[in-house]
Amino acid sequence: MPGTLSKKLALTKERLYSLVGLAIVLALVPVFLGFNFYYVLLATNVMLAASLVAAWNIIGGYAGQLDLAASAYMALGAVITGHLLASFGLTPWIGMFIGAAVAVGVAVLVGYPTFRFGIKEVWYALLTSALVVIMMRIYYLIYGSFETYIPHMEPEWLYLTFRRYEVYYYMLATMLVIIIWVNLKIKDSKLGYYLAAIREDELAAEALGIDVRRYKLYALMIYAALAGLVGGIYITLTGILSFRLFDPWLGIVTAVMGIVGGLGSIGGAVLAAVILRSLEEYLRGAIGATYPGSHLLVYGLILILVGVLKPEGLASLLDYLKKKIIRR
Amino acid sequence: MSLLTEAQTKTTAIIIVAIVIIAIIAGAAYYLSQKPAQTVTVTQTQTVTQTASPTTTTSPTQTVTPPKIKEIKIGLIEPLTGAHAVFGQEAKQAAELIIDVINNELGGIKNLGGAKLKLVVADAGETPEQAKLAAEKLVAQEHPPIILGAYISRMTAAVAEVTEREKIILVMDGLVDSLTEQGWKYVFRAAPKASAHGKSAVDFVVEMAKKKNLTIKKAAVIHEDSIFGTYVAQGAIKELVKYGIDYMAEAYPYDISDATPIVSKLMDYNPDVVISVPYFHDGVLIAKTIKEMGFHPMFIAGAGACGYTDPDSIKAAGEAVEWYTNTYSYNPARPTEWNKKIVKMFEERYGKLPTEAAGIIFYSLMVVKEALEKAAELHPEDPLNPDNLREAFLSLDLTDNNSIAAQLYPTGHIKFAPNGDNIYAGTAILQVINGEPHVVWPDPEPGIQPVFPRPDWPGAKG
Amino acid sequence: MISIDPSLLAQNLVNGVFTGLLYSLVALGLALIFGVMDIINFAHGDFVMVGAYLTYVLATTFLIEPSLTAFITMPIFFLLGIVIYKLIIEKVLGAEPLIQIAVTVGLLMVLRNLALMIFHAEPKGVPFTIFTQPIVLGPITIASSRLAAGIVSLVALGLVHLLLTRTKWGIAVRATADDREVAELMGINVKKVYAVTFGLGTALTALAAALIMTFSRADPYLGLLYGLLSWVIVAMGGLGGVVGVLFSGLIIGIIEALGITIVGAGARELFIYLTFFFVLWFRPRGLFGRR
Repeated sequence: MPGTLSKKLALTKERLYSLVGLAIVLALVPVFLGFNFYYVLLATNVMLAASLVAAWNIIGGYAGQLDLAASAYMALGAVITGHLLASFGLTPWIGMFIGAAVAVGVAVLVGYPTFRFGIKEVWYALLTSALVVIMMRIYYLIYGSFETYIPHMEPEWLYLTFRRYEVYYYMLATMLVIIIWVNLKIKDSKLGYYLAAIREDELAAEALGIDVRRYKLYALMIYAALAGLVGGIYITLTGILSFRLFDPWLGIVTAVMGIVGGLGSIGGAVLAAVILRSLEEYLRGAIGATYPGSHLLVYGLILILVGVLKPEGLASLLDYLKKKIIRR
Repeated sequence: MSLLTEAQTKTTAIIIVAIVIIAIIAGAAYYLSQKPAQTVTVTQTQTVTQTASPTTTTSPTQTVTPPKIKEIKIGLIEPLTGAHAVFGQEAKQAAELIIDVINNELGGIKNLGGAKLKLVVADAGETPEQAKLAAEKLVAQEHPPIILGAYISRMTAAVAEVTEREKIILVMDGLVDSLTEQGWKYVFRAAPKASAHGKSAVDFVVEMAKKKNLTIKKAAVIHEDSIFGTYVAQGAIKELVKYGIDYMAEAYPYDISDATPIVSKLMDYNPDVVISVPYFHDGVLIAKTIKEMGFHPMFIAGAGACGYTDPDSIKAAGEAVEWYTNTYSYNPARPTEWNKKIVKMFEERYGKLPTEAAGIIFYSLMVVKEALEKAAELHPEDPLNPDNLREAFLSLDLTDNNSIAAQLYPTGHIKFAPNGDNIYAGTAILQVINGEPHVVWPDPEPGIQPVFPRPDWPGAKG
Repeated sequence: MISIDPSLLAQNLVNGVFTGLLYSLVALGLALIFGVMDIINFAHGDFVMVGAYLTYVLATTFLIEPSLTAFITMPIFFLLGIVIYKLIIEKVLGAEPLIQIAVTVGLLMVLRNLALMIFHAEPKGVPFTIFTQPIVLGPITIASSRLAAGIVSLVALGLVHLLLTRTKWGIAVRATADDREVAELMGINVKKVYAVTFGLGTALTALAAALIMTFSRADPYLGLLYGLLSWVIVAMGGLGGVVGVLFSGLIIGIIEALGITIVGAGARELFIYLTFFFVLWFRPRGLFGRR
């Protein structure tokens, strides 16, 4: 007994150390980039993708539901935060939580009917994919196609209208660390065990008396809230409100990164987001002009290869490296 | 080890994480407040070493003896990849051509001792984030005093945020009205804004009807529901109201799968003229459906430069777009000396006719040249200072007689209002006649007459 | 917006019926693949897109009436389907739904961006067709291309229905769909049935694409339009076979037409997807499901 306990503790410790290490590395990134506007903005975009994928990992990785609506929840958080700021001057510090709450509400509406026992997973995936479009059209019915630009407001720290990107970078980096922490917390909790059981065999889990629907819904709500918060920060960064924020592609790409990273592996998911997002930016610059769409084509090929050959994704590579390092 | 210690380790570790992050944020904030102009200084030294040109600040040494400017960087941020790449690629080609013309044929910026222009390009991609990245990249690496871009409104807005902060002049080729309504100080737009396109379409139809002694009682405005399409439609509706013409309006997403319900609505309303604001996909579908449903109004006028009269749409829709018109921010057939010359050069160099994306760049870049000449005249001590440049742009009054830029412009007259829009903005109208696009308005191509009303209109017997 | 002309309503209902028939045809292949093989194919709409481009290329190169290219594109697509089945789909048979979806989303991205690379974003259309004259019945005008598309769709649905119910192969397919293991025990070559089903399902999209090209255009994003739409129809049809698909397609077509007539074209997608949402909520086994 003591053996297993200390082992468990050691694992947690290792995790916590890596989390602290990650936080330090992330905090130092802008310093190494020389506070150059361009690189910091690029890093901020990478953080954005990583946070979103890390949040997705909760529903996709742990609960095993192919959610394609990351952009719907994110955009909901974004437009609510943004319009509250632009129309009522409400600080995004509060707005983003309202946005997250609304995202959770919508998520429940979607999850409640589709998480019923015995409903095929495909309907959830499709409904989430439709959700982005439904949300886009509802936004369109309210605001039309007009774009709202969030003006510069003082004081900057209250309205988050900084002219430099470091603050946004640090906010998203903090968000990423928090989301990873939530991921790890879930994995070790009752919710995590139940979700693992459900993923393994839903029938058996139900037979054991696990309320499948409820736990899937919990995972969905946490994910939607986090995605909504990320959206709230995102809109203070871009400041452009339009129905195009509800971008079906972003939802798909988020899921792609999560799958390539290895389902349920938070390290793999974040790594995949960082690599793929940077690769995308590189490919777009290198060959995007000659071969339009080539960076997305590469995404597609990677996805097929991972799905067919190595469903464990990047996570298996990480595990392999970890074992090597530990052995040394 | 007990459970308690485990929980304690966890908590302490989390607190450490939080403290580390917060400490670093605080440190960074302090760092920023200490050196607010960090990057500006860096780029300044870069620019000076690279091009020997002063940029944003006036130092006393410069006012005494202005350093000789050999090269001025001009930024171009256009969508070179993704769904809008067609426009961006052509804009880039146009910019390269005009820069060559300015440097070689016109001998650079004369008032600056023949300083050459150097084009620096960045890809605006498909989203505001990508456009903003492109702007930051260009600013960090080159810091040009003037940037042109970025075609799509929300991408232009993202670029403007950067250029306003850096006090860089942004000459916009995004046409959406609201771009000049944000109180931005350093933006200019020579091209006609979206609503001007809708207005032109209506003006053209009304003028033609008057000429042929026809009356227009009812009009229908159908438009794709992007921000651009909506502004164009608003411009058209405003003008219809002015002329006292009844109208219906219908918006639709440009990727509709079938246009029959919309065309049925049109037929039910039975307007005399249809003002249609398409993108490309829907233009093909609507024209084919109108033809196939046997709907024959007096006239169908496109507005907003996309679809119907561009070569791809004519190829895709065939006979269905015959006699359709569309408004253009550029008139490739304008019979001025320089316009003929530039169009010919473009054709020789790229083997195709310049469309609107290229045309806007033609005159916008020539306006930049005129503004630089003016700035050198007004402020020889520091011509590239943003406020001096702004003053130069605002003092321009370009007409066919005194400038190349005006010769390339549909109305032949460019003068900027304080918000950055051209006071004399206007569009040209192209019509598909025998499967070829021809300019028919305001000054028709030689040998071409606008076809009005549509010959298949039941009332067009005479 | 408030008062709607009854003749316009009738006109658009008729439009909706013909569009709906075409939608049924588009969804039929997907229903077949999903029903028989339990494969979740997210790339279905993009097969339609590829079909539209193939139709465009054939029709404009050889100057053939676009709808007739189906005789060439269908066999090509049948083979293409089998190749894709062998290369990709077979590897994920029986895998977690999430992996199946991921792989077919990958396929979708490859197809869509290949199209973007080759043909660029501007739409391509066939500038000629035999369908140019409308058919006028009193206050109702029917575009002949939509009429033809509707009739061909109906015939195709009927043929597939006969194929499934009256032929030996159809019985094998249905047996496999019911219970794969039992079918295997009965000596049915399940792998072959799967390959042929996937091929047939793909070939049907080529027919739909040829019909679409008589009035519409090909563009790289066409798959977005038809992919999700097909799934909505399959969801509504449940596992009710060809008849379920037919009626679901009709319902979607009519809902779409009514939505456009009453609210406006901007609300089209909203109506379709909200229908989907409510069907999943209240009739999770579809409107026509038998199981």
